[in-house]
Amino acid sequence: MAVAASHAGHLEQHDHIHPEPTTFIGKYIFSLDAKVIGIQYMITGLLFFIISGLLAEVVRIQLLRPEGGFVSNDTYNGVYSLHASGMIWMTIIPLMTGGFGNFVMPLMIGARDVAFPWLNLASFWIFPPAGVILFSSFLVGAPDAGWTEYPPVSVQGPPGTSLWCVAIFLIGISSTMTGLNFMVTIIKMRAPGMTFTRMPLFVWAQLATAMLNMVATVALSAALAALFIERTFGVPFYDPGRGGSPVLWQHMFWFYSHPAVYIMILPAFGFISEIFPTFARKPIFGYKMIAFSSIAIALLGFMVWAHHMFTSGMAPWLQLPFMILTMVISVPTGIKIFSWLATLWGGKIEFHAAMLFALGFIVVFTFGGITGIFLSAVPVDLHLHGTYFIPAHIHYVLFGGSIFGLFAAVYYWWPKITGRMMNDTLGAWHFWLTFVSFNATFLPMHWLGIMGMPRRVAQYRPEFQFWNDVCSIASFVLAASTLIFLYNMFTSLTRGKKAPPNPWNARTLEWQISSPPPYYNFKTIPAVLKNPYDFGEPLPYLGLGPSDKEDPHPTKPGGTPPEPAHA
Amino acid sequence: MAQVSAPRKLGLGPGFWPVTIAMTVLNLIVTYGIIVFPIDSVLPEAAAPAGDIDALFKFMSVFGNAIFVYVTGYLVYFSIVWRRRSTDPPEAIGIQIHDNNKLEFWWTVVPCILVLMIAIFSVRIWWSLQNQIGDVLTMEAVGHQFKFEFRYPRLKASVYDDMHVPVDTPVTLQVTSSDVIHSFWVPEVRIKADMVPGLVQTLRFTPSKVGTYRIICTEFCGVNHGNMFATLHIDSQQDFGRWLAATSKSQGQSAGAVQLASGQAAAGQQLFGQKCSSCHSIGPFEQKIVGPGLGKLLSDPNHPNLVTGEKPNPVDISHILINGYQGPDNSAGKNAPAIGVMPNRQANALSNQDIANLVAYLTSLSQSK
Repeated sequence: MAVAASHAGHLEQHDHIHPEPTTFIGKYIFSLDAKVIGIQYMITGLLFFIISGLLAEVVRIQLLRPEGGFVSNDTYNGVYSLHASGMIWMTIIPLMTGGFGNFVMPLMIGARDVAFPWLNLASFWIFPPAGVILFSSFLVGAPDAGWTEYPPVSVQGPPGTSLWCVAIFLIGISSTMTGLNFMVTIIKMRAPGMTFTRMPLFVWAQLATAMLNMVATVALSAALAALFIERTFGVPFYDPGRGGSPVLWQHMFWFYSHPAVYIMILPAFGFISEIFPTFARKPIFGYKMIAFSSIAIALLGFMVWAHHMFTSGMAPWLQLPFMILTMVISVPTGIKIFSWLATLWGGKIEFHAAMLFALGFIVVFTFGGITGIFLSAVPVDLHLHGTYFIPAHIHYVLFGGSIFGLFAAVYYWWPKITGRMMNDTLGAWHFWLTFVSFNATFLPMHWLGIMGMPRRVAQYRPEFQFWNDVCSIASFVLAASTLIFLYNMFTSLTRGKKAPPNPWNARTLEWQISSPPPYYNFKTIPAVLKNPYDFGEPLPYLGLGPSDKEDPHPTKPGGTPPEPAHA
Repeated sequence: MAQVSAPRKLGLGPGFWPVTIAMTVLNLIVTYGIIVFPIDSVLPEAAAPAGDIDALFKFMSVFGNAIFVYVTGYLVYFSIVWRRRSTDPPEAIGIQIHDNNKLEFWWTVVPCILVLMIAIFSVRIWWSLQNQIGDVLTMEAVGHQFKFEFRYPRLKASVYDDMHVPVDTPVTLQVTSSDVIHSFWVPEVRIKADMVPGLVQTLRFTPSKVGTYRIICTEFCGVNHGNMFATLHIDSQQDFGRWLAATSKSQGQSAGAVQLASGQAAAGQQLFGQKCSSCHSIGPFEQKIVGPGLGKLLSDPNHPNLVTGEKPNPVDISHILINGYQGPDNSAGKNAPAIGVMPNRQANALSNQDIANLVAYLTSLSQSK
């Protein structure tokens, strides 16, 4: 029966396939292939990651001395605003969804492409212009009010603030389209037999993320449009003197930006859920709880936005539901962490670079999650809000969470993407340097915040200099450790060892085809018979041919009939 | 479906209980350390709600520490005990278990209980914050770019930079802003409220410790956000009375018109260096620091007109020095660069004579070549 289903799936897919492009532009520039688009996202995202990272170093150099003086206050404000905007919108979100979502997700569900390849092409090609617009705002005066751009100060802000609005608006459109695309892909294009409970957990994470991307982003777009209109035409959406409200922006901004932190972390949860079973040689523990907790986090994520606004001015009684719902989110998150720990128990753990980053992720993300609970309690937040405790917390969850997750994902899927292996020793160096310097950079910031250092300042009181210097010096090491990573990627591309189809002995579908995968991914759409993580059993797929050896082009008939699964 | 391929005698693995006990002991020690830690001596608790908030902070630290130690501890311990050994055959796999309903039930229920406990304690402290007594001294604080203004019911004019409150007196502080969002934070009191234009928020606290403390703006408010501070003086009752009387008296004296004719350009030059030059150059208009360059204020025909739309003149300049200046000059035509906000005379602490001297200096600049 499964074989029959596989045939049906195979034939049905024929209608949706575009012929393989032959020109350079068709292959590498305006490709419709989700894999190529995913790689395009990764390269562009890496570029913006480097730019945003260098901006962070400017911030840390400025804060070496209490009186600052490395750059002017105006420049400093622009630098940290674009550091955050660049990291969040131009690096983490595109890499999580557009990058790894595009490359890995269709392969994992046994599809040949995403549901709407042209939409996917459009999603990507909005992204580089948006990034260029964002960073070009330096030429006319960069936005200075941080990535949150609270009006009225952002209405007064330099001309670049309008460019910031345009850039974020554009990237929002791109995210929404990707969300829609992935949702349809995951719901409609899974291989025969891949029921929802047989999907790899990364796909579950992408499903939850797609939901968030589709629903939340429009709120930000509306807020951005209003800010742009107020700045350009003087319509007073946020001007209290003329009937507007500055708090309106905060509600709309956080209605997007709180779900956005889950957009940035849920795919990382997905990475971890793939990497742990592979390197522990064990089924993921509590599959259903991990899958459902992703959805629970996504749903709860819509109901907690005002916890960013406890000091902003809202009815005091309204603080209570937001406080309690925020605390409730820690339960599904905790379930995930406990399940990952239980996955390690009884394993045969191999410490490749990907696994090291995944393990490091658990440590620092747990820490960031715990400081999140502190911030969710209104009375404690009244002290900590707007201080350096907030950058400390956000870097523990966004750097320690999302970026550690992305590093793990790069090490994990690199052989599949490029067909070459990365150097594991360099990877281990990268991990340990990153892990130590990351903690040395961001841990002292908690203390600075508690003791009274506000965030977004170009000068600070001399008594804070010692810990600021520790943060700064550690951040230079952090930057240097990233150079190891770049070097590792570069040498792997130029003279890395050729990668076998399945170097990690993983069980999900993308590892059952050649590295890099052929244009149409699967010669025959496989039939899925079982869960993806049972290491002791034969592969749970039917109909997988050695497609790396044969022409996968489905328009040429006469391929081999579906083979039984590899044992 | 779950195939447990591990030998039964393995149990939870070597050393599980000793490691668990070691982590528990570590947790108990750290918990004790958190409970006895004297927050007050590191960051003073200078007013009533601070102690409550610190108690909640400690309560959460105890739970946070426990969770972190167990998660990290088990992570490291499992990584060591269950690592792949060089003697393992390449096809060796881990123990193939998928789930354990009992375990999953408990690790859902226990965090729920912890969250409930934290929530109950948080709501209690929150409730006590809502019910702080105030109103014995009711006053206002207004945020400006980049100054704090304080208004007292018994003073005719506002005071800037220094907020005085008497010890052991419940204070109600109403905060708002004149321009952008600022935030009023006193770390030693542990509370803050954003100063939002068009919105009045109320803070209530009862100072308990005489001393001077920092008032810090914690919401980004513009180019000088990092230097927006004020000082909170918690005075003894007598000192506060004395300060109030003295301030009231000096405010009575400072009234009177500015006599522009009495201005001394040399004195004005010195004053410009102290009070103005961080925002204004003496170059042409375009040479902006925060505000425009003021070197050719009266002589440059391309200089945008002032607020009134008139060509700049000495009287107009003195008005700006007295009243300050809000926002970009829209009357000046489309090509005018955006201009920041200029603080008023109270914020700059300018006397009548100071203003006359500054006007004389600026006039002399425009006259010299």
